[in-house]
Amino acid sequence: MSIEAGVLVDLDCEPIHWHLPRDRNTGALPDSRQLWDIIWENRARVMGFAHSHPGSGIPGPSHEDVTTFAAIEAALGKRLVWWITSADNFVELCWVGPHKLAYARGPAMYEPTWMQRLRDESGYDDVNAGLTK
Amino acid sequence: MYAEARLNITFAGQNGDLRDPVSFDATDTDLKQWAAEAISTGGVAGIDAKEADFADFVVDRFPAKEDLPNRLILRPKTPFGV
Repeated sequence: MSIEAGVLVDLDCEPIHWHLPRDRNTGALPDSRQLWDIIWENRARVMGFAHSHPGSGIPGPSHEDVTTFAAIEAALGKRLVWWITSADNFVELCWVGPHKLAYARGPAMYEPTWMQRLRDESGYDDVNAGLTK
Repeated sequence: MYAEARLNITFAGQNGDLRDPVSFDATDTDLKQWAAEAISTGGVAGIDAKEADFADFVVDRFPAKEDLPNRLILRPKTPFGV
């Protein structure tokens, strides 16, 4: 069974912080003051945040996701890139406006180097192993 | 008599305290409204005047201890998930 994981990414598209809280579960990364503190401390060099969703296929942002995107960007005063990965696909999302929650997918042409670790931290291999038995 | 607290706000890349103390037990709704009103009129030192929407923000509450007073922190929520 997979478990959600996250990673904060800098302007060089390198990980700043792996977000693997104890209370994460198969469908959620709970609210975390620590995560916000880390985002704020690194606000000058943050490019975005990636997190995982369960299952495979092309993931889509939930209402929880887009409202969090918008809130963090409002607090930072700048727009970020938001990646979401599944076991075998990923999307990158940005605000396109004009509505507050108007986020859309970008081309996602290049898979970041940390994406595989994000999938590893999400336990997808366990899921895939179960499917192939 | 209520316990006073300082409300710290982060918005638009800036940070500041509400000028006047608030009740430590004020509701999140009231705190968000006061913060929005204060920011809209430039009433928070360190945050430029602008319209603010705190609908998806949360309040962290820190009771006083040692030399620190009661503190309330208004910040964005950070949950993700399906």
